[in-house]
Amino acid sequence: MTDFEALLRLLARARVEFIIVGGAAATVHGSSRLTQDLDIVYRRSTENLHQLAEALSPYHPYLRGAPVGLPFRLDAETLQRGLNFTLVTDLGDLDLLGEIAGGGNFEALLGHAQPVEVYGAQCYVLGLERLIEVKRAAGRPKDFEAIAELEKILEARESG
Amino acid sequence: MARSKITLPPDPVIEAYKKAVDVTLLQENLRLTVEERFSKLMAMQKFAEELRRAGKKLREAP
Repeated sequence: MTDFEALLRLLARARVEFIIVGGAAATVHGSSRLTQDLDIVYRRSTENLHQLAEALSPYHPYLRGAPVGLPFRLDAETLQRGLNFTLVTDLGDLDLLGEIAGGGNFEALLGHAQPVEVYGAQCYVLGLERLIEVKRAAGRPKDFEAIAELEKILEARESG
Repeated sequence: MARSKITLPPDPVIEAYKKAVDVTLLQENLRLTVEERFSKLMAMQKFAEELRRAGKKLREAP
């Protein structure tokens, strides 16, 4: 199980700059669908890479699905060399995304994000409209039901 | 900070999927706070894991 509360508190406490996207963002907006992991788009500044790596390292981040024993250490250098990381941690599954298809990077998404307080943690979540656009742009059949639900939520919101 | 209004035109595939959306579940969820939505999500995950564990045990039974 992914402990969303602990992960969000941890990242916020460490002052990591990130935007909640994916299924967790859909949950914030009211989706009733089950999601297994926390997807975040993180700012790729040097300071943020250090903060992110330091915050996660006590929780044994490891590449999800990688063979046991594969050498992997999540530090700022590793983050700098890569872009998107699908991780398993002691707190659950966490996807660190440097950018997302159809949405771009942290800076590109920030203007479409909303501040939200979750479990006392101040975070940003991708706005509902942009979340729909990004999921549509990805064009994955597995997202069709999720997009339909998000558009229903948007319609409900707009009709008051 | 977030822009309003969706800018994409209606997609016929998504429109077809919309007919199957359980609006009662949505209404129930929209009444919850964000924390309550995450708590519900974690409870669903826990339940799904328990069902998977039970199913595995069932399949392994002689």
